[in-house]
Amino acid sequence: MAKPKVAFYWCASCGGCEEAVVDLAEDILAVVGAVDIVFWPVALDFKKSDVEAHEDGSVAVSFINGAVRTSEQEEMVKLLRRKSGLVVAFGSCAHLGGIPGLANFHDRKSIFERVYKEAPSNANPGGVLPQTQTTVDGKELTLPEFHDTVRTLDQVIDVDYYLPGCAPPPDLILGAVTAILEGKLPEKGAVLAPDKSLCDTCPLNDSKPEKVSLAEFKRPHQILADPEKCYLAQGLICHGPATRSGCGERCINANMPCRGCFGPTKGVRDQGAKILSFLASIAGLEGEEKMTDEEVGRLIGQIDDPAGLFYFYSLPASLLKRKNLRQGA
Amino acid sequence: MGVTTEGKPAAEEKSLRPKVLVFCCNWSTYPGFQLSRLGEGDEGDREPIIITMCTGRLDPELILEAFSRGAWGVFVAGCPPDECEHNGNYKTRRRILLLKKTLGPLGVEPERLALEWVSTGESAKLAKLVGDFTARVAQLGPL
Repeated sequence: MAKPKVAFYWCASCGGCEEAVVDLAEDILAVVGAVDIVFWPVALDFKKSDVEAHEDGSVAVSFINGAVRTSEQEEMVKLLRRKSGLVVAFGSCAHLGGIPGLANFHDRKSIFERVYKEAPSNANPGGVLPQTQTTVDGKELTLPEFHDTVRTLDQVIDVDYYLPGCAPPPDLILGAVTAILEGKLPEKGAVLAPDKSLCDTCPLNDSKPEKVSLAEFKRPHQILADPEKCYLAQGLICHGPATRSGCGERCINANMPCRGCFGPTKGVRDQGAKILSFLASIAGLEGEEKMTDEEVGRLIGQIDDPAGLFYFYSLPASLLKRKNLRQGA
Repeated sequence: MGVTTEGKPAAEEKSLRPKVLVFCCNWSTYPGFQLSRLGEGDEGDREPIIITMCTGRLDPELILEAFSRGAWGVFVAGCPPDECEHNGNYKTRRRILLLKKTLGPLGVEPERLALEWVSTGESAKLAKLVGDFTARVAQLGPL
């Protein structure tokens, strides 16, 4: 029997998700032995025409990482969707928008202005901006269109499963591949990771006080964090309570609070709102009834860039997104 | 962007009525509401009101959902600071403040969200606060 065909693709991403596949180490040999990789731009020299040559639906699964920002990415993921039985959104950016999704605090116009005109390192006296078509020496050159908005993968194509994380850890990747090969998949739309909050599995959970109260907010560069103690109890903002577990607590073990890359647990529609909610609950909890409005304002004011912090990985997937998106622009 | 209804037919003018959602605490504000002028008349003729068992139970996600589904403004009415039996209002005070600081970059003017303390016997105050808020939101127009 022919081995199942598998494709990998990357969109608006950093390359870390590709590394994550390689991080399977010797386990990748078992994967490569069991499947036929038909497309993987970072590692193998297949072209778009090779993908087009496959029959529709004949690729067993496409693992697609990165958010969707350009017309090329949109075209490729739609092609892969047509050719694939299953599509897995691989990593935070495909899942929720990720770090590239923070660009949705701006739009194409302001990004182009900043990057190509205002940035102090620029030398662009003609104020040239990227064009989808331009003529050089009588020849027509083209570039993909840079969309106004970063979208999650499921805002562009139908997605069957999600592998969360920046990047997904090897054990979850292997678990997903095994589940697909053995046909033991959960219901469509599932996130292929445990449905627990990070605090539930955090090695520092034992040091978390029964009642956490933050009298002030500190940032990681301002203190030497105690690696043995719950970061929230140290006054550091940690997204653990509002973030799905399964990452292997990699940041926690590197003495860094959680930033929420695994997204929320099941049923939550807006991770940022959940982070905001628990953080506001524990801010100045001790003695809250004695605090004046001014004191509350000063404490809350210590949280720098709240929108960017709460939607660090999930802005394109948030309820509000941004104004012009809601208007359908 | 304000709402101008000049020269428009009456039906269209009515459709531009500000969509304001009110969250009320069941134990203080809502009894007051029942006594207030907001409680009079046709249900469809006043701001929709959602009762919470305590403003501390009001998940910020619900406020964001209201905005994402077309609310022009969200008004939260809770027990005054020392009148809540659960101290939920102190959490709400902090959540709404933090939410207002978060809304701007998401494309929602912070003025579209308000938190006010309303005691049991303050039905007239509630009616006035909601009325004033609705007028301010009308100036901002739809989202």
